[in-house]
Amino acid sequence: MLTAFARAFRTPDLRKKLLFTLGVLVLFRLGAHIPVPGVDYQNVNQCIKEAGGNGGLFGMINMFSGGALLQLTIFALGIMPYITASIILQLLTVVIPRLEALKKEGQAGTAKITQYTRYLTLALAILQGTGLVATAQSGTLFRTCQVGNQIVPDQSIFRTAVMVITMTAGTVMIMWLGELITDRGIGNGMSILMFTSIAAGFPSALWGIKKSGKIVGGWGEFAIVIAVGLAMVCLVVFVEQAQRRIPVQYAKRMIGRRSYGGTSTYIPVKVNQAGVIPVIFASSLLYIPALVVQFSGNSTSGWAQWISTNLTKGDHPIYLTLYFLLIVFFAFFYVAISFNPEEVADNMKKYGGFIPGIRAGRPTAEYLSYVLNRITWPGSLYLGLIALVPTVAIAFFQGSANNFPFGGTSILIIVGVGLETVKQIESQLQQRNYEGFLR
Amino acid sequence: MTEAIGSTATPESGRPADATEGALDSQTKKKRGGKRGKKGPFARMGLFYRQVIAELRKVVWPNRSDLMSYTTVVIVFVAVMIGIVTVIDWGFTELVKYVFG
Repeated sequence: MLTAFARAFRTPDLRKKLLFTLGVLVLFRLGAHIPVPGVDYQNVNQCIKEAGGNGGLFGMINMFSGGALLQLTIFALGIMPYITASIILQLLTVVIPRLEALKKEGQAGTAKITQYTRYLTLALAILQGTGLVATAQSGTLFRTCQVGNQIVPDQSIFRTAVMVITMTAGTVMIMWLGELITDRGIGNGMSILMFTSIAAGFPSALWGIKKSGKIVGGWGEFAIVIAVGLAMVCLVVFVEQAQRRIPVQYAKRMIGRRSYGGTSTYIPVKVNQAGVIPVIFASSLLYIPALVVQFSGNSTSGWAQWISTNLTKGDHPIYLTLYFLLIVFFAFFYVAISFNPEEVADNMKKYGGFIPGIRAGRPTAEYLSYVLNRITWPGSLYLGLIALVPTVAIAFFQGSANNFPFGGTSILIIVGVGLETVKQIESQLQQRNYEGFLR
Repeated sequence: MTEAIGSTATPESGRPADATEGALDSQTKKKRGGKRGKKGPFARMGLFYRQVIAELRKVVWPNRSDLMSYTTVVIVFVAVMIGIVTVIDWGFTELVKYVFG
C-alpha cells in the first residue's frame, strides 16, 4: 500500500497536483502564523500559554481555524466565513426564486452563485473581523490573562481599521487558496483546508491529554484516547462505505448496426449520502449566536447571558440537543439539494433505463425518494450520534470536552475528507492503469 | 420505451396487461391509503420504522477486508498529513518567534 503512495508520486501528472496542494497548504499554514499588524506578539503568546490551549468561548471555532484565531494572525478567521456564506446561499437557493432559476441555468448560473458567495464571504469576514478585533482590544478574548487588555497596544481607529482589513484580506486569500486546490490540486479545497486546520490542532491536544492524565504518567489516557479514536475511524469508514444499491436495467437498443445498453447497473445510495457537510454546517451555524453576543459587546443583557451560558459551551445539554437536531436537518437538506429523484428518473427514462418492477417516469421518482427518505433517517441519526457521543462521554469523565481532539465532529471531518481525497487519488491512479491503494 | 412497444408489438398484447397492472396499482394504493388514513400517528411511525429496517436490510455493507484496507489507508493518509502539518507548523512557529520575539 505504501508503494501505491510512492507510485502516486511517480506519476508526473499526479505528482504535480499533489505537490501543488502541499504548496498551497504550506502557504495556508504560513498565514496562520503571521500576526496581524498592531498585535503585541509577546503578550498574546503569554496569554495563550496561560489559557493552556483551552479556547473557552472560542473553542470550536479556534479548532476550525487551526489555532490561528487566538493567535490573532492574518488567517485568524480561517475558512469559516466562506463556509457560512455558502450555507446561507444554499439555504437561500431554496427560498429565493431568482437564485433557483440561476441554479437551474447550469454552468453560467453556478458561476454567478459562486460570485455571490464570495461577496457574502467578504461581508461576513468584515463583520467577524471587527468582532474579533473588538474583543481583543477590550481584553475579553483572554479573560483570565493578566496582560489580556494589552494585546492591542495602539487602539486608534486607523490601527483598528488596518487590523480588520488585514484579517478580511486573509480570509479572501484563504477562499482563493481553497478554489485553487479544487481547480488544480487534489480534493475539494474547502474541505482540505478544514482538514488541515483540524489536523494542526491534533498533536498539541493529544499532548495536553497526556500531560493532564494520571495513569502511568498520562500514557494510559493517551493510549485509551488513541484506541477510541482508531475504533471511531473504523466505524466511520464502515458507515461511509455502506450503500443501498438500487438496481437499474438498461433496455437494449440498436443504433445503426451496433447494439447499446442491455446492461444492468445500480444507483448507489449511500447510507450517509450527505457526507460530512451537515456536521460542518451545523457547527458553523451554531457559532453564529456566540458571534452575535461577542459582537454586541455588552454581555449584561438577558438574552446575551442566556446565549453565552447555553449555546457557547460544547457540553451543555441545550447546545448538544440543538447540534443534533441541526445535523439531522442539514443531512436531509443536503440530500434534497444534491440528489434530485425526478431528474434521475428523467435521465433514466431518456436512456432507456428502469428499475425492475417500477415503471419509468413518475413512479420511479417516487420510488427513489421513498428509498432516499428511509435510508437518510438512519444515516442522519448516525451522523448526529457520532458527533455527540464522544463529547458526552468525555464530559462525564473530565470537565472540559471542548478541545478533545477526537471529538466526534473532528473525527467525522478528518475521516470523511481523508476518505474522499484518497479515493480521488485512487481514481486518478487507476486512470493510468496502475493498481491503487485499495485492492 | 412505451412508444416503441406500441409501434412494433401488437396492441392487444400490450394494453390489457398495462390496464390490469394499472388497476392493481390503484387498488393497492387505495387500500394503503385507507389504512393510512385510519391508523394513528404511532402506527404510521411503526410502519415507517419497519420500512426503514427493510431498506437497511438491503444495504450492502463493506466486508472485512475492504473495511480493513480502507481504514488503514485513511489512517496512514491522516497520519502523514498530520506529520507534515506538524513539521510545517513547528518551522513557522520558530520562524515567527525569531522575527517577532
